[in-house]
Amino acid sequence: MMNDENDSLEDAPVTNEAFAGQDGADVLLAVHVVRALGVRKTFHLGGEAVHALRGVDLSVKRGEYVSIMGPSGSGKTTLFNMIGGLDKPDEGEVFIDEVDIAALDTFELAWLRCHKIGYIFQTFNLIPVATALENVMFPMLFSGTIQADAQDKAAELLTTVGLGDRLLHKPVQLSGGQQQRVAVARALANDPAIILADEPTGNLDLKTGEEIIRMLETLKDDFHVTVITATHDHKMLAASDRVVYLTDGQITDIKRREDLDITVGTIDGKDTD
Amino acid sequence: MDFHGRVEKQAQLPFSRAFEIAWKNIRVRLLRSLLVTSGIILALAFLTYIVCDDTLKRHIAKHGSPELLERLKKAAVLKALDDADARMQTWWLVGLALMVSFVGILNAMLLSVTERFSEIGTMKCLGALDFLIVELFLLESTLQGFVGTAIGVTIGLGLALLEGWTVYGSEMWGLIPFAELAKLLLVCLLAGTALTVVGALYPAWRAAKMQPVDAMRSEI
Repeated sequence: MMNDENDSLEDAPVTNEAFAGQDGADVLLAVHVVRALGVRKTFHLGGEAVHALRGVDLSVKRGEYVSIMGPSGSGKTTLFNMIGGLDKPDEGEVFIDEVDIAALDTFELAWLRCHKIGYIFQTFNLIPVATALENVMFPMLFSGTIQADAQDKAAELLTTVGLGDRLLHKPVQLSGGQQQRVAVARALANDPAIILADEPTGNLDLKTGEEIIRMLETLKDDFHVTVITATHDHKMLAASDRVVYLTDGQITDIKRREDLDITVGTIDGKDTD
Repeated sequence: MDFHGRVEKQAQLPFSRAFEIAWKNIRVRLLRSLLVTSGIILALAFLTYIVCDDTLKRHIAKHGSPELLERLKKAAVLKALDDADARMQTWWLVGLALMVSFVGILNAMLLSVTERFSEIGTMKCLGALDFLIVELFLLESTLQGFVGTAIGVTIGLGLALLEGWTVYGSEMWGLIPFAELAKLLLVCLLAGTALTVVGALYPAWRAAKMQPVDAMRSEI
């Protein structure tokens, strides 16, 4: 696989300098941060082959907010794990920041997960024995950030998500919504390119879930990240630039925000700005 | 493969930081840690008591004053030294105690791994390397093992000396084979710690082999 910088066609690879400072990287926003090409994945469960993904092509642009919709068993989570560098495809290719994840060794995959991707889980997955501050500091610990800097940044991020007064609370002392806010702050800790949120509102009530979505929508622009969520929750769609519908391991439909407004508007019966 | 510096290799966490995390894990799960540790304490106290008592008896049988030996002979205290059957039984018991403590450690560490399945997965999603996971679990068990063994060895030695004192009287204090006992204590200390580390190897390996994907799973 060649990834030469001079090979500047439409999917031009991004240079190192561009990653150094994202502020000046506006020019590069057009570049696809995720590209999946003909991705197939089969699991073998008890001698039976389950085709989780049957040839999925998907490109996500830098700064986009994409929701992947689909019932459970649609291959949503599998696709998600590929994008997150957690799983490799049987066939096809997945590029994250123009890097073919299949070519990476475990150390490089760990680096990718640490520096390029921020995860948000349905079950929050905070480290129970650590405070909110320490939880946000964890990814920075792994990326080798100096402790004092990590602490300052974690405090700053927690203030951004509205938890400036709860830095030293343990997860059990926080409500579900607050825990998910900590998770959002943690996902942003290493200035990732992508935030992957797997059913981020699944364990939250309607109002809290909506708050988290709004927050992700705002932070996406403030932090220049791409947000990809997996969901079967319609209220998640309002913030999306695009919605990808996945059924039986194949993309059946892709809707843009403009088209969505009408659909969601009628379903939810309210404005979707 | 070269991606023009876009991807680097994840660096290992410095040992001091890993140690901090492991220490913290023990502290917040103190009760669990104490349970694991208490198993080691008991087994090692037993082992130490047996070997120290044996050494002490042999030393006194060799170097004790004629009056003391006469008295001990009447009380049949030293007879057991030559009873091969009784000695064999004792060693069986020691072996059993060590095995029970080993299984206890293995069990407790496996439970600890299972309990922290999503935590481990999350750590891996955040960029932790497999090596760190192994390191954390081994450090945790080594610390517990060392502390437990140290306490156990101290108790064992104390018991052996206490028994010696009641049986042989104050004359015993002049007859303690310090160098020999010190060597034994060191062996017990190493054995106890090694036992814990070996008991934690498999659980730690299992934890490290866990797929980060598992943390993403919403269904448990």
